[in-house]
Amino acid sequence: MPHIVVCFKWVIDETYLRRAPGGGLDFSSVDYKLSDYDRNAIEEAVRIRTALGGTVTGITVGPPEAAKGVKDALSRGMDAGVFIADPAFVDLDPSQTVSLIAQAVRNHVGPFDLIICGEGSGDLYAQQVGPRLAEALGIDCVAFATQISLEGGTLTAQRRLEGVIEVVTAPLPALVTVLPEINTPRIPGVKDTLMAGKKPVRTLAKGDLGATGGPRLQTLAVRAAAMERACEKFGVEEAEVIRFVDALKKRGVLA
Amino acid sequence: MDFKLTEEQELIKKNMREFCEKYVDPIAAEIDENSRHPAEVFQKLAEGDWMGIPIPAQYGGSGADYLTHICAVEELARSCASTGFTVSIHVGIASMLILLFGNEEQKKTFLVPLAKGEKLGAFVLTEPGAGTDVMAATTTAVLDGDHYVINGTKTFTSNGPTGDTYLVFAWTDKAAGRKGMSAFIVPRGTPGMTAGNHFAKMGLRSSQTSEMLFKDCRVPKANLLGKEGNGLAMAMTGFDHGRTGIAAQAVGIIQAALEESVRYAKERVQFGQPIARHQAIAWMIADMATDLNAARFLTYHAAWLKDQGQPFSKEASMAKLFASEKAMHHTIKAVQIQGGYGYCKGAKVERLMRDAKITEIYEGTSEAQRMVISGNVLR
Ligand SMILES: Cc1cc2nc3c(=O)[nH]c(=O)nc-3n(C[C@H](O)[C@H](O)[C@H](O)COP(=O)(O)OP(=O)(O)OC[C@H]3O[C@@H](n4cnc5c(N)ncnc54)[C@H](O)[C@@H]3O)c2cc1C
Repeated sequence: MPHIVVCFKWVIDETYLRRAPGGGLDFSSVDYKLSDYDRNAIEEAVRIRTALGGTVTGITVGPPEAAKGVKDALSRGMDAGVFIADPAFVDLDPSQTVSLIAQAVRNHVGPFDLIICGEGSGDLYAQQVGPRLAEALGIDCVAFATQISLEGGTLTAQRRLEGVIEVVTAPLPALVTVLPEINTPRIPGVKDTLMAGKKPVRTLAKGDLGATGGPRLQTLAVRAAAMERACEKFGVEEAEVIRFVDALKKRGVLA
Repeated sequence: MDFKLTEEQELIKKNMREFCEKYVDPIAAEIDENSRHPAEVFQKLAEGDWMGIPIPAQYGGSGADYLTHICAVEELARSCASTGFTVSIHVGIASMLILLFGNEEQKKTFLVPLAKGEKLGAFVLTEPGAGTDVMAATTTAVLDGDHYVINGTKTFTSNGPTGDTYLVFAWTDKAAGRKGMSAFIVPRGTPGMTAGNHFAKMGLRSSQTSEMLFKDCRVPKANLLGKEGNGLAMAMTGFDHGRTGIAAQAVGIIQAALEESVRYAKERVQFGQPIARHQAIAWMIADMATDLNAARFLTYHAAWLKDQGQPFSKEASMAKLFASEKAMHHTIKAVQIQGGYGYCKGAKVERLMRDAKITEIYEGTSEAQRMVISGNVLR
């Protein structure tokens, strides 16, 4: 019976982001949520466990406030959690996150058959953690899966690529990143949430794990994207169409 | 002092929001238009354990606190006031009264299926001649061997046509006055109990309201809830819980009115700028947001007192009075902000305004709440 590990992230809920005067972002009234793609990852793990048995362990890196995210994630059907927590673990680089998760998986999670990640996180969407984690653990990685199954020590996955669906197999243990269409995440019921707090969570502090290395990215500024709306009307005659194309060029829509 | 919901309460409230966006928002206008009871939504609510949040797990509920239930009602009402109310009266009055006053046998037989959402509860007190003046009721229950025989006409029963488990109030000893009324658990299908006329209503249209007619309706003695003569006192306890739910319903309505108003005021341009930039509109929105906070705190406080095991009658009445009157006031403003568009079908604020009115009427009118509150304050 498989042991499945799911990586999830507690991220800023973008609906609460506001544009600050001066073009930056106003984070003053933000709330947090479980990254949308990770809901699919959790759902898929729980779906497989329901079919095959086994256990699902969730793992996340974040500041201590992300404890609520651990509860949220556990309420979606996972059996246990590993929470790598430190006030410094905000805005980590994917490389740093991976280093922490890889160490935790190696030393604190035990043997596993499959790791499932969302295709990317809801905030950075760098799509790095999945493939890098597979690399760090020395296992196969199948990214962008729309359907997966486990049988006899083998993962079979459908990947949606540009224009084609690719079906691949990989020996277990393996890592897979999933696309949202793989399933419809459940909305936890009341009892699911109440029970989540009673599930075992192993909290790892900075000192329980080795060094992560410094950040490889440097954030210079975060700016709100400005959306410009304009309304201009054109006719269907030749001259109008030319005027239309010119207008698009002038606005930089066409090169 | 702590103004924060617990992590569980917050998560559950958010999950309810997601539930509403998925299952309630898409049908809210349609069930209003057609006065339809959305059985499919209640099926989903039952599956998610939303129909018995404060009922202990041993009786089929979720075993959370009352405030959690109140948060769920608020979120439901924000999408559909009728659905929020149906859950409120089912849990807050019908189920809570059996939990608080039922014996073990009654809890097993009647509470468990209610808390699981397999059955829908109803509260049958009001009569054509006895609204605010409950003592003017004329329905009687006469003991005959192992049964009580109920005769009379009840009206305005929510879930009347759709309910399964009815709590019916009738005189067992009219001469005993306030100690002469008793309550009975009457399952749907009991001979002699039928739903009469259905009411076509201004708002709250997907909640089903009807008369309930009792003609020699024989109810086993075992279905007497609590003690004989204790009916009125139990009804008042039910109201404490129910009114907190109506307050939450009103809070949900104000929240929705605010959201609709903010969205529209930013989009609608008149005199060359979004109407939100006109101070008259901006101030309406400021008042709405302020009263929303106040109403929500009053409501949560009443529920919190209940969870602390403290008396909360006065606070439940205050929350209900304030939240319902503010809901009415601000939904009128929300229609005003949307002008002619707000007056037409298809605008959510039009439905909110019709739905808000009932919160000032049922489970005790605003006047009745003022009687309770002044009675408490002037004691
Ligand atoms: C949609 C809907 C659902 C309902 N659901 C239920 C239900 O599930 N179960 C149930 O039992 N009942 C239910 N009711 C009944 C509801 O609780 C009553 O309508 C309410 O209590 C008021 O009674 P009434 O309509 O007879 O008004 P009345 O009592 O006749 O009141 C008329 C007016 O006089 C005022 N008034 C009355 N007495 C006084 C006084 N002493 N001092 C000052 N003013 C006074 C009232 O405030 C009101 O403004 C429902 C009603 C509606 C409309």
